[in-house]
Amino acid sequence: MFSNLKRSEKIIIEVVLILFFIIWLYPIMQSVIESLKIKGIANYIAVLKHPKINYPRVLFNSFFIAVSSSFVVTFISSLAGYAFSKLDFHFKNALYYLLIACLAIPPASVMTPMFSAAKNLHLMDTYGSIILPLVAFNSPFMLMVIKNYFDSIPDSVIEAATIDGCSTFRIYATMMLPLGIPAVINVLVLTFIYSWNDFLIPLLFVRKESMYTVTLAAQYFTAAKNQTPEMVAQLYAALMLMTLPSMIIYIFGQKYLQSGLTAGSVKE
Amino acid sequence: MSIAKNKLAKKIVPYLYVLPIIILSGLFLYYCIGSTAYTSLYEWNGINDEIKFIGLENYKNLFEDKVFYISLFNTLIFFVFTVGIQAMLGLLLAVLLRAKLRGHTLFKSIFFMPVVMAPIIIASIFRIMMDYNLGNLNVMLRALHLDFLAVSWLGDPKYSLMSVIIVNVFEWMGFSMVMYYSGLLALPDDVFESAKIDGAGFFNTLFKITIPMLKGTTSTLIVLGIVGSLKTFDIVVMLTGGGPGRSTEFITTFLYKRTIEEYKAGSGAAIGIIILIIAFVMSIIQIKFYESSQKDM
Repeated sequence: MFSNLKRSEKIIIEVVLILFFIIWLYPIMQSVIESLKIKGIANYIAVLKHPKINYPRVLFNSFFIAVSSSFVVTFISSLAGYAFSKLDFHFKNALYYLLIACLAIPPASVMTPMFSAAKNLHLMDTYGSIILPLVAFNSPFMLMVIKNYFDSIPDSVIEAATIDGCSTFRIYATMMLPLGIPAVINVLVLTFIYSWNDFLIPLLFVRKESMYTVTLAAQYFTAAKNQTPEMVAQLYAALMLMTLPSMIIYIFGQKYLQSGLTAGSVKE
Repeated sequence: MSIAKNKLAKKIVPYLYVLPIIILSGLFLYYCIGSTAYTSLYEWNGINDEIKFIGLENYKNLFEDKVFYISLFNTLIFFVFTVGIQAMLGLLLAVLLRAKLRGHTLFKSIFFMPVVMAPIIIASIFRIMMDYNLGNLNVMLRALHLDFLAVSWLGDPKYSLMSVIIVNVFEWMGFSMVMYYSGLLALPDDVFESAKIDGAGFFNTLFKITIPMLKGTTSTLIVLGIVGSLKTFDIVVMLTGGGPGRSTEFITTFLYKRTIEEYKAGSGAAIGIIILIIAFVMSIIQIKFYESSQKDM
């Protein structure tokens, strides 16, 4: 099916691929072009000097939230992944399935208690009010990814260490984590991307502009009245600035992200 | 004595490993579900202490609410079309990329790029592009003398849901494509070789061998599509905000408006519980279906 193609078949394949390539490239390319219209690079400078949206601060907020949640998620899901994979205890399966069942919870469905709790406990506009829900919603999936990977590490590897009298924590820290590095990195990167791109959680818990994340800032710029061509060009510049960090991450880690984002979703 | 102590420690230690995730994730999420279920039985604005028990009244009102059915129906239509189109396009492009002709890695990375970008930013770009007067899409169509195609993409209830579907396909097609692509790489070459020797053509091989063998991938994409559709929020808020009218009201945007904008926390919570029930039932059906299809093979 894929080898010994005729010349005509090769041409058809290339033409169809190029056609779709243009469709998928167009929105990004035209955004870049539009963002430089009329005033050129000054559009970008205007966004950077925006009176209400402080770009470095917005980047810092998103970065801080994404890094914190990905470290917390990786730490707690690798600890639990190790226990669920290699240790024996009562209710092991029940606890595991209770956690995995949370995969099916759409965050929007439980927004009512989250919102009123944050409001009544005066947790609005704090990093914690954004990081905690992100950790809670991302952990079950990441637990599954890490546990599946740990399951593929043979028990015999850690048996010798157990007989030598190593504590379980030493086995976790000096054997499971190094052996599980591919899964650990995968979980770190996935949680970072999911947290960085999240919109609903910051939308619920952030009111102050100083706490805006890139997704809220993007919404702020797009929701403003953009009537003149100058304003539209500036809006494109703002959107490009907001998406720049994820583009850079993608360019350097694209092979990794393609396999990581899809592989984790295949249930074993 | 010390042996007994050791035994006790051995019994307790494993729980210490799972405790952090149970507290930060499990308890948090089950508390949220419990609290949502509890709130759904009350009339409450979500802010002050005035809270009144009304039993299943919130649910009863929902089942008599036309908007509730419209939002469910829109979500269903969205699910069917996005999952269908994404799977078909994804499979087509995966098969074409699998021929590994010149430029296939570049094509693949561009198709996948939107998956990594924030949905809210993709939707922002499309919102400007799809503007009736000034948007690039209509400017281009008019320049090509295709004025009849230059519709009001987001402002006309006839086209608004379709436009949301198009943007979602743009965002997520690359995901289906990479899933199918890695599925194709895992298929043994000799299956295709023997099909070729038997004289099976391209389409025959595609429909009789390739697609059936990728059943597992398709099934995974359907599960993810169900959960994904019930989660869809960002792109709808940004593109149409549920309008015009209620033409793109999703179950999630309906819930958001009830809770945050109309201050009806009880009714919002009832919608949340209905979403949860649908999500759980669908996941269970799909897992059962998946297990039985595995047994047949």
